[in-house]
Amino acid sequence: MAACASKGGCPSDYVALSIAVVSMILLLLKATLPYLIHKIPRPKGSSFWLVAIQVLASFNLLLSIIALNFLKFRKRHWWRSCYLWAVWIEGPLGFGLLLSCRITQIFQLYYIFVKRRLPPIRSYIFLSLILLPWIASAAFIHIRKPLNYRCHMGTVWIIPVMGLHALYVVALIAFTGAVRHVEFRFHELKDLWRGILVSAASIGIWVAAYVMNEVREDISWLEIASRFLLLVMTSVLVLAFFSFSISQPLISLMSLRKKDHKEYKTMSQALGIHDSGIHLQREPISIIDPDEPLDKLLLNRRFRQSFMEFADSCLAGESVHFYDEVQQFDKIPIQDPVRRIYMARHIIEKYIAAGAPREVNISHRIRQEILSSNDLSHADLFKNTLGELMQLMKLNLAKDYWSSMYFMKLKEEVNMRTVDHELEHASGWNFSPRLSSVHCSDDPFQHEHSPRNSACHSHNSKLQ
Amino acid sequence: MLCVVLENMGLLCSRNKGYNQADDEENTQTADIERRIEQETKADKHIQKLLLLGAGDSGKSTIFKQIKLLFQTGFDEAELKNYIPVIHANVYQTIKVLHDGSKELAQSELEASKYLLSAENKDIGEKLSEIGGRLDYPHLTKDLVQDIEALWKDPAIQETILRGNELQVPDCAHYFMENLQRFSDINYVPSKEDVLFARIRTTGVVEIQFSPVGENKKSGEVYRLFDVGGQRNERRKWIHLFEGVTAVIFCAAISEYDQTLFEDERKNRMMETKELFEWVLKQPCFEKTSFMLFLNKFDIFEQKALKVPLNVCEWFKDYQPVSTGKQEIEHAYEFVKKKFEESYFQCTAPDRVDRVFKIYRTTALDQKLVKKTFKLVDETLRRRNLFEAGLL
Repeated sequence: MAACASKGGCPSDYVALSIAVVSMILLLLKATLPYLIHKIPRPKGSSFWLVAIQVLASFNLLLSIIALNFLKFRKRHWWRSCYLWAVWIEGPLGFGLLLSCRITQIFQLYYIFVKRRLPPIRSYIFLSLILLPWIASAAFIHIRKPLNYRCHMGTVWIIPVMGLHALYVVALIAFTGAVRHVEFRFHELKDLWRGILVSAASIGIWVAAYVMNEVREDISWLEIASRFLLLVMTSVLVLAFFSFSISQPLISLMSLRKKDHKEYKTMSQALGIHDSGIHLQREPISIIDPDEPLDKLLLNRRFRQSFMEFADSCLAGESVHFYDEVQQFDKIPIQDPVRRIYMARHIIEKYIAAGAPREVNISHRIRQEILSSNDLSHADLFKNTLGELMQLMKLNLAKDYWSSMYFMKLKEEVNMRTVDHELEHASGWNFSPRLSSVHCSDDPFQHEHSPRNSACHSHNSKLQ
Repeated sequence: MLCVVLENMGLLCSRNKGYNQADDEENTQTADIERRIEQETKADKHIQKLLLLGAGDSGKSTIFKQIKLLFQTGFDEAELKNYIPVIHANVYQTIKVLHDGSKELAQSELEASKYLLSAENKDIGEKLSEIGGRLDYPHLTKDLVQDIEALWKDPAIQETILRGNELQVPDCAHYFMENLQRFSDINYVPSKEDVLFARIRTTGVVEIQFSPVGENKKSGEVYRLFDVGGQRNERRKWIHLFEGVTAVIFCAAISEYDQTLFEDERKNRMMETKELFEWVLKQPCFEKTSFMLFLNKFDIFEQKALKVPLNVCEWFKDYQPVSTGKQEIEHAYEFVKKKFEESYFQCTAPDRVDRVFKIYRTTALDQKLVKKTFKLVDETLRRRNLFEAGLL
C-alpha cells in the first residue's frame, strides 16, 4: 500500500481515472449531442464560445488534477513542469476559467432580467477582466516558486490560494442571489440553485481533499484516499457544473427535455403565447382589398401567411417574419416583463443585432436605439424598426405581391364575389419583376380560372 | 429562379387536378404547361445572366429602372402613379432626417446656434418629424407642402444639409424639395425623371429580361438582369444568384467617399465598396465572369470633388490635388479609377486574368449615358461570346 501510494497504480487510482475519463466523454456528448441529433444550427456569438470555453476549462481542470497526482515531475521537460500543471492549467485555464465563464453568464442574465437592458460590456471583455486575478496570482506563484518536489505547496500558500477559489464561488452565489426573484420561464433559477448546491458540496469535499493532499504527505492511506476523492469530485463538479442550463431556453427545451415537453417551433410557442403565429388556427376568411394599407392587411393571418411566402420566395422574407414575431411580442402583457424580455432578446438576436441570422434592413440609428435601450420590456421597443420595415415592405414588395402567384392562390382560397373585378384590377399590373411571379397576362391559369372559380372553390372549402 | 415559378405552377396544377371533374381539359392544360416549361428551359440557355451588385445606395436600382425605360415598354401611367407614394415617402423621410439632424447638431456642436430652428418653424418641424415617423403617411396636401417648404428654407436646415454626408440624407433631397409644388397637385403624374430620382431601398431580388437592340429580339442578345439590395444584411442573399453569371455589373458610387454606411455609421462607404468589390472578385463562381465596373454618380462627384478633398477617405489618402476646375475633376476621377483598377488586378488570380474587366463612368440618372454604356456592354459581351465560341 505504501508503495503504490508513492509510485501510483493503486486500484483506487484506476477507478478514479476511469471515472474522470467517463465524465469527460459525458461532458463532450452533452455539449454536442443536441446539435448533432436535432440538427440545431450552431448558436453564434457568446452563447457558443462561452460553452466551448467551459468545456475546455473543465478538460483542463481534470487534466491538471490527473497530472498533479499521477505524473512524475521533472525539471528537464518543460511540459512536465510542476508550475505548468499545478499552477497555470489548474488555475487560470481550469478552475478560474470555468467559474469565470459561469459568472459571465449569470452577469448577462442579471443585466438582462434585473436591469432590463443589454449588458454594457461585451462578454469576452468581462470574461478576461474577471480572469485577470487568476493570471496575476499564477504569475506571482510562478515567480516565487514555493512548490516542493512533489508539487505541493505549504500551508502558508494553501490559504490564499483556496481563498481565491472560494471567492469566485461566493461571487457566483451572490449573482445568483441577485437574480433569484426573477421568475424565469425555463426553470433557469431552479437549475442554477441545483447546480450550485451540487457544486458547492463537491467543492467542499474537493477543497478538503485538496488541502489534505497538499499538507499531509506522510500518511499513505490518506494520500491515496485524498487523491481518489480529489479526482472523483473534480469529475462530478465538472459534470454537474455543465448540466445546469443558463439562458439557453430554446435549445435546452427543444433538445434535452423533448420527452416532457412538446416540441416548440417558435419562441412564442415556447413562451406559451396563445393565439400565436400563423401556424395554428384558421380564422374566417375575409375579403382582401389591395387598396387597404399593408399594415392593416397584415393583421389578417391568412394574408400574412401568403405575403410571407411571397416575400420568402423573393429573398426578402425577414421583414415579414420580424413583423410576425413583434406581433407576438406585443401580445405579451406589459405586466409580465420576464416573458417580454425573453421575446425581446430572441428578436434582437435573430433580427436586429449586426450579423444576426435574419438581420433586417434597418438604419444604424434605429439599431443602436434598440441595442442601447434602457428597458427591454418596453412597449415601443420595436416601434421605429417596425415603421421603417413597413415602409420597406410597402414600397418594395406590396406592389409585386398583387401580381404574384401567391396572391392568385390566396384569392382562389378566399371566395370573393368580386373576383372578376379583382382579376381585371390585377391584370392592370402587367409586369411583376419579382422572381416568383408570373406575368398575369400570360398566366396560363388565369383565363380558364375565372369562370370556373366558384366551382373550384366549393371543392376547396370541402377540403378545408 | 424559374424553378420557384415552375414549382408553384406545379403545385397549383396538381391541386386543381384533385377536385376538377373536367379531366380532359386538365390533361391538355398539363401538357400545355409541360411544353411551356420545355420551351422556357430551351430559351434559357440563350439568355445571358447579368447581376447588378454593389453596396447600398450605389445606384443599382436606378440602372435597373433605366433598363426598364430604355429597352422595355417603360412605365405606363398606372406604373408612374405607383411611384407617388414613394415620392411622398421620400419627401417626408428627407424632411424628418434633416429636422432630427439639425436638432442633434444643435445639441452637440460648438456653434450650436446656427442649427437652431427659428421659433415659428420649430412647431412645424416637430409636426413633420412626427409625420415622418408614422406608419402611414398622409397625402401631400398644399398646406403640408407649404410647411415643408418653410422648413426647408430655414437657415438651420440649409446649414444642416451642408453636413448631409454625416446624416444619411438621400441624394434626391434637393430635387424633390425644389419640385414640391408639383407633387401636391391632385392630378399629379410622376415624370420619368421623378421616377428615376425616387429612392427605394431594395430588399430581396428583382429581375428583368431585356434585349438592348429593342423590339426585334432576333438580332440582339437576350439578357436577364438581376437587381439586389446592397446593405449588409442583403448581401447574404446574393450567393443564391452567383451561378452561371455572364457578367457582373458592379456599381460603385464614387461620390460617397465622405459618407458613412446607412447600416453602420462607423464605416466609410468607399472603404466598404472597396472591400465588397474585392470580395466579389474573389468569388470562385466568377472565375470566367466578366466585370463591368460602373463608377456611378459622376454628377455628384463632379460637384463634390472640388469642395471635399478626396483624401478624407482612407483609401485615397495619398491623393494630391493638382489644379482647379474641370481638370481637377478629371484628375480626381482618374485617380479613383486607378485605385479600382489596382484593386481588381490585386484580387484577380493569375488563372483568371483573361476575364473581361471594363470600367465605365456613369451617371445612372442620365438616360443617354446609360443607353450608350449598355450598348458598349452589350458589344463587349457579344464579342466575348464569339471569342469563347472560337469564332474570333
